[in-house]
Amino acid sequence: MARLKPSSVTAVTPNPETGIPLRFGDDPLLWATWLYYEEGMTQGDIAEAIGVSRATINAYLADARARGVVNIQIVQEKFQSLTVSNALKDHFGLEDCMVIPTDGGDRPLTQRLGAAGAHVLSKLMKSGDTLGVTWGRSMLAMAMAMRGRDLQDLRVVQATGGTTAKIKWTPEACATRLAEAVGARCIPISAPAIVSSAAMRDLLLRESVLSEQFAALADVNRIVLGISSLRPESTIHTSGFFDDARLHGDYVEAVGSIAGRFINARGEPVVGPLDARTIGIELSALRKIDQRIAVAGGFDKVPAMLAALRGGYVSVLVTDSATGLGILTADSYVASSRRSAPAPVLDAPAPRRSRVKKLINNPSAVVDESLEGAVLAHGHLIAPIGGSLRSLVARDGPRPGKVGLVIGGGAGHEPGFLGYVGRGLADAVAIGNVFAAPPPDPIIACTLAANGGAGVLYVYGNYSGDVMNFETAAEMAQAEGIAVRSIVTTDDIASSPLENRGGRRGVAGNVFVYKIAGAACDRMLPLETCEALTRRANAQTYTVGLALEPCSMPDTQRATFALGDDDIEIGVGVHGEPGVARQRLGTADEAADLMIDRILSEMNPSEGDRVAVLVNSLGGTPMMELYVINRRLRQRLKARGIGVHATWVGHYFTSLDMVGVSLSLLHLDATLTELLDAPCNGAAMYCPGPSH
Amino acid sequence: MTDAILAPDLVIMFRAISARMTEDRDYLSELDGQIGDADHGTSMAQGFAAVVRALHDADLADVPLSDVFSIAARSFLNAVGGASGPLYASALMSAAAFAGDARSLAPTQTLQLIEAMSAGIAKRGKAALGDKTMMDAWSPAAHAIRTGLESDLAPEAVLARAAAAARSGAEATRAMIASRGRAARLGERSLGHLDPGATSAATIIEVIAAALCATGKMGQGPGSS
Repeated sequence: MARLKPSSVTAVTPNPETGIPLRFGDDPLLWATWLYYEEGMTQGDIAEAIGVSRATINAYLADARARGVVNIQIVQEKFQSLTVSNALKDHFGLEDCMVIPTDGGDRPLTQRLGAAGAHVLSKLMKSGDTLGVTWGRSMLAMAMAMRGRDLQDLRVVQATGGTTAKIKWTPEACATRLAEAVGARCIPISAPAIVSSAAMRDLLLRESVLSEQFAALADVNRIVLGISSLRPESTIHTSGFFDDARLHGDYVEAVGSIAGRFINARGEPVVGPLDARTIGIELSALRKIDQRIAVAGGFDKVPAMLAALRGGYVSVLVTDSATGLGILTADSYVASSRRSAPAPVLDAPAPRRSRVKKLINNPSAVVDESLEGAVLAHGHLIAPIGGSLRSLVARDGPRPGKVGLVIGGGAGHEPGFLGYVGRGLADAVAIGNVFAAPPPDPIIACTLAANGGAGVLYVYGNYSGDVMNFETAAEMAQAEGIAVRSIVTTDDIASSPLENRGGRRGVAGNVFVYKIAGAACDRMLPLETCEALTRRANAQTYTVGLALEPCSMPDTQRATFALGDDDIEIGVGVHGEPGVARQRLGTADEAADLMIDRILSEMNPSEGDRVAVLVNSLGGTPMMELYVINRRLRQRLKARGIGVHATWVGHYFTSLDMVGVSLSLLHLDATLTELLDAPCNGAAMYCPGPSH
Repeated sequence: MTDAILAPDLVIMFRAISARMTEDRDYLSELDGQIGDADHGTSMAQGFAAVVRALHDADLADVPLSDVFSIAARSFLNAVGGASGPLYASALMSAAAFAGDARSLAPTQTLQLIEAMSAGIAKRGKAALGDKTMMDAWSPAAHAIRTGLESDLAPEAVLARAAAAARSGAEATRAMIASRGRAARLGERSLGHLDPGATSAATIIEVIAAALCATGKMGQGPGSS
């Protein structure tokens, strides 16, 4: 093991009372172990630094090994927080830093941060202190976790005026609870934090009660502060500090807030109309306080915390390891090679294989070359519109008096989209680049080709790009006198909860919706009826997908996300969008059950109901495995007393080369059954019609 | 009227944007490869190349400035699709609406084109500041234009402020977690990475500022036309 000179001990600032830096808690064994294995110091140097004998250090180290502190696996876990804390301290020049594990115990992060903050404060505060405290969830959690330490002549000063907002963590509550907990005299600020005008503030500050309270605020020698994000989910928007939406235009630069004041990404104050109306400590005064202990965590706070660190508002930081690592990453921190072994926690895991093999000539030509081949293969069914391969029309589809059905989306889902164009299916399809929506022009070309004078129905998946381009096309078509109705498919039940059905993505269940819509249009039904039936099909279709391996893009030939060696992701989207859960891959039946459970619990079928089933490969999963999944599906449906009217198994709607499967169930009624059985003829779907 | 911005000035501006997007294609795609599908550089280069082609083919003699922007919007959209197609098309359509029938724009009005473009993107994409999108560059730039005009600065100085605000906004996306678009899949793994959309937006705003200043018409104070 390479050892460094003992001079590296200067990087560790001992706590004045115990001699042990905060981040090691009260455990000299941990500290000694750290200095030996991570700082590379000799046992003699460590003994000197801690102030014990060399024999004691030797015993500590032996004990550490015996207790498994230096066992490889435990060390990684235990030292991750220490590594992050050291890095934060070095990088931002902090006096000290305490980093708690992000995952640990059942308590929410805010509560655990509060407890850590209380631990730090109780070690740092001294008799005679005038402590400042701001407001917020973590401040209240800290005050609640605080235990008295028998110090004398303490004062706790509320750092801002109060609010009447309906929150528990008001400035008054935080200061009162903290003062009670440590047996301090509480000095409130007897005025609202935000008043109606600058003149009102000046008037109030002249009141003797307030000027006395402000004199105490000026005496603060130690302050505990929360850091607020300005993200939409942040509590600052309901706190009474920043509720007035009309003001937000003056604070566009702000990324965070401390004590009701605002800072930009560089940590500079953002001055707006609120400043002159705010009663509380000013940022310039806050920066001058001897010790500024910030307690904050959570990814949404990273920009705000980084700004606070850059601006020098923090001298002691209490956070969690994931947030701390996030802050370091966001500030482009690179771990120094102080240790004998590289620190894995600060490096991104290297992909196992950098390049996925693909049969392509040129990444930028792959979509057009693929379409060229598809049109040659299925020339009896589909033809380019006006020579463009990006808009294809059914040879036997559009006709006068029939509602035209236009579908489309990005490439990469083959036989998705173009395989569902033909008689009894879609009349035309618009195709974009890989996983990117088609622009409006090909959609318009499809609309004109499909228009038989009875209106046109658009059916496409619920993705922002598709919605924007199809909406634009619909406006343009309507301007030309073509009635257009749009149905956005939302069958992926894992992509959003039931309450937000409209936010769900459209995936393989599209295929059922195309089939029903195509049959309705083929029957020459009016536009309103076709639209209603298609909506019903979408509402009755339930899909859940599951990925075993990510897909890779033609441009990069690299995986679009990483999955652990034995992990699967449930609810993954067809472009690799995040799913709802990751877990270990079990048996095929277990994997099938994960999907079936979710579908059945939302579909809630009654005994005797009938369904159509689609067992779909996401690209890389073979038919053999799809049949195994179908076997389990049938066992479950039988046990539930549900009849299966139709079963489709295969590559119906893929995500390039993603390994995985999706299950779609269409909950049938008499009308949907009839339309499902209607004849159709497309490259990926052929029905001769019901046999009698 | 020699101080006014005319259609040929806008064409030169679009050429400059296109040249720069072509130059930055690999860099932007590389940024996108870290948190997206690695096609952003290609999309932006293709889109603005299409704009330049369309403007070259169009007869721009004595047309309202709105036509220049409409042609740009339509050609960009049809070359790109996806999400950035409609977003930039909305920016350019919003600029077209702002320019209206005018054949020329005073320097201060020209600055407001940037505000109009930002508003167009905001309306279409509905992203908020801090979402780690192109809005994190466009919105600070628009804000800098608004406050710069209010404080009676010379147009050239306002443009410099807008460009700087856009760039620092784009830099700030490193500390953000993507919550919209496909990068949202990465969650906290998007930390530390520049958003490619915000990066290209900051570059576009810088090029617009440089191109407008290069006309020699932006040094005047407000009130001149």
